[in-house]
Amino acid sequence: MSTASREFLRRAAEKSADLNHREILRRVVDNCNTSMDSGRLRFANWEAARQRCHEIKWEALNNLDRYLLEFEQRVKDRGGYVFWAENSAEACGYITDLAISRGVHKVVKSKSMVAEEIHLGPALEKVGIEDIETDLGEFIVQLRKEAPYHIVSPAMHLTRKDIAALFKEKLGDIDTDDPQELVAAARRALRRAFFSAEMGISGANFLVADAGMIALTTNEGNARLCTSVPRIHVAIAGIEKVIPRLQDLALFWPVLATAGTGQPITCYNTLTGGPRKPNEVDGPEEFHVVLLDNGRSELLADAERRDVLHCIRCGACLNACPVYRTVGGHTYGTTYQGPIGSVLTPHLRGLNEFQHLSYASSLCGACTDVCPVKIDLHHHLLENRRDAVRSADRPFTERIGFKIWRWAMQSEGRFALAGWFARAAMRIAHSMKLEGTALDPLGPWSKNHASPAAPKRSFRALWGKANGAD
Amino acid sequence: MAQTESASRDKILARIRAALREPAPRHEPASQPKTIFAPVTEALARFQKECATNITECIVTPNRRASASAVKDVLASIPPGDVFVQDSPELRQFAEEWSKDRSIQWSSEGPPRESSQATITACEALVAQTGSVLVSAACGGRGASVVAPVHIVIATVDELVPDLDAALASVLERGIVSVNSYLCLITGSSRTADIEKILVMGAHGPRRLIVFLSLA
Repeated sequence: MSTASREFLRRAAEKSADLNHREILRRVVDNCNTSMDSGRLRFANWEAARQRCHEIKWEALNNLDRYLLEFEQRVKDRGGYVFWAENSAEACGYITDLAISRGVHKVVKSKSMVAEEIHLGPALEKVGIEDIETDLGEFIVQLRKEAPYHIVSPAMHLTRKDIAALFKEKLGDIDTDDPQELVAAARRALRRAFFSAEMGISGANFLVADAGMIALTTNEGNARLCTSVPRIHVAIAGIEKVIPRLQDLALFWPVLATAGTGQPITCYNTLTGGPRKPNEVDGPEEFHVVLLDNGRSELLADAERRDVLHCIRCGACLNACPVYRTVGGHTYGTTYQGPIGSVLTPHLRGLNEFQHLSYASSLCGACTDVCPVKIDLHHHLLENRRDAVRSADRPFTERIGFKIWRWAMQSEGRFALAGWFARAAMRIAHSMKLEGTALDPLGPWSKNHASPAAPKRSFRALWGKANGAD
Repeated sequence: MAQTESASRDKILARIRAALREPAPRHEPASQPKTIFAPVTEALARFQKECATNITECIVTPNRRASASAVKDVLASIPPGDVFVQDSPELRQFAEEWSKDRSIQWSSEGPPRESSQATITACEALVAQTGSVLVSAACGGRGASVVAPVHIVIATVDELVPDLDAALASVLERGIVSVNSYLCLITGSSRTADIEKILVMGAHGPRRLIVFLSLA
């Protein structure tokens, strides 16, 4: 068992037993799901919207080279720079070199999952550049030195009392748990940062090929300040974020908002392309886009699972997932949590180390039903399990168990014999109180569940008797 | 840096091209395209209804002159400090009325100061479907509609389009996308629900968004 897997199981056991944590999680997630349910009703046909999103993303991904080159050309025409990074080290290297060469001391960042993925914050700190998260949720988890808890709501595991205590300790000028006051305190602290930073770093919700612009969606307006005030703007995005046409946003903007938070549309949907033009009032002097591969082209090569790259990071599958709702975001120990994280992480960081995530699912399919771009999430989890069995290390008991199963399923007699052994083994285990111990092959299950008593007769025997075959 | 750039670019593109030799399966499109959004019929009524939902103050006036006078009343209700105004011939006309009580900073004089109390701009389009205001860098710059705590938009009913699709088509057609480095679709004022999902207005941007929509 990998270290990541052991840690996952340990944290999952701890978090699922923490009833207070589960209550917070349940309240917040239920709230999201209720909003999303009513949000979907604003569409004349939500299913048609999902289908169309799927088609647009399919077109973009299956012509990815063409649309990326179109995007690159248009950004260059607008006076911006495009850097292609194969991995985290190259992406971080480009950004830190740029910051150093331009004399940057302070960076303001608007929420970016890709920045989390490549660990950009620590890379900047390492070269002595101060890095400040400006999305309120990200700002809070940064002050706590924690990873984001959820793709969309990074601080959703915290109560206002937790945040009040944190602000009192770190910001100093506040002592209340009123959300309005807490937000005002963060606003004051971050305003100072926006107006003193030399570089703003953002992610991108979409890279719009025909316009040569990046699209950013925020409610708070922090991404707008990040991309307007500092003299350099760097946007970082996975190569899969490209969409063909500006007009596709007429569908994606409402869909992202509905699936993400249940809003009809998010407050600020911004498009930026290039630095400030000579006749414009403000804006950065330099505009850079970092296009990150980091394992995405390998996932692209897997036609069966290429649609994983359709993901618009709305977080709906996290909210729908019974596993996420029980164990919470930090248990995963990954940048992307929940069903999409469980599908994606083994591809980005190695199947052997992260195969356990494919099993952190009941395969109920709630994630697939809710996905606004129709990613077949639960089948992909099943495919990852298949691949794990083929190529990764699986426990000895599992391999033997399935060998016996295969042997037993091949004839009626073998099946009856195996059934007799199993019932006998259950009786012995029960009488010796072995259930849930290391000697019990069903240990992980029976540790937390009471086993039923072993039946005296097999189902086949009962069936035969009931149907008068005896 | 330049060396690495071209090398990685070529490698990534080569991998993408190799990856795409096998097409991905897809959910087949419906034979009859289905309507995704119900068409917007009464644009003005819809715009007002959506504004009420997304917490935009939408005030309908008979003409632009009346809008300008109404702006004066709003300015009287906000704390002292600069008012940042998009420098356009039309707004210059109205400024005389506003500048009696407030000092005005024009967008041609530089970006808005952090201390500014309100911003007054025009817009590129109003979207009935979502109750949104579409602005570009030409509307006083990027900071205009986000730095000050109050954003006032002076618009006419001619700028109202039924839906997002029409709004994006319109800015493409009029060359606004290629001319500007920045566009923003604004729907309501800045908000956050990052603390216990409790809605708080005015996270980083304006606490109030006021649209004066004149019928002529």
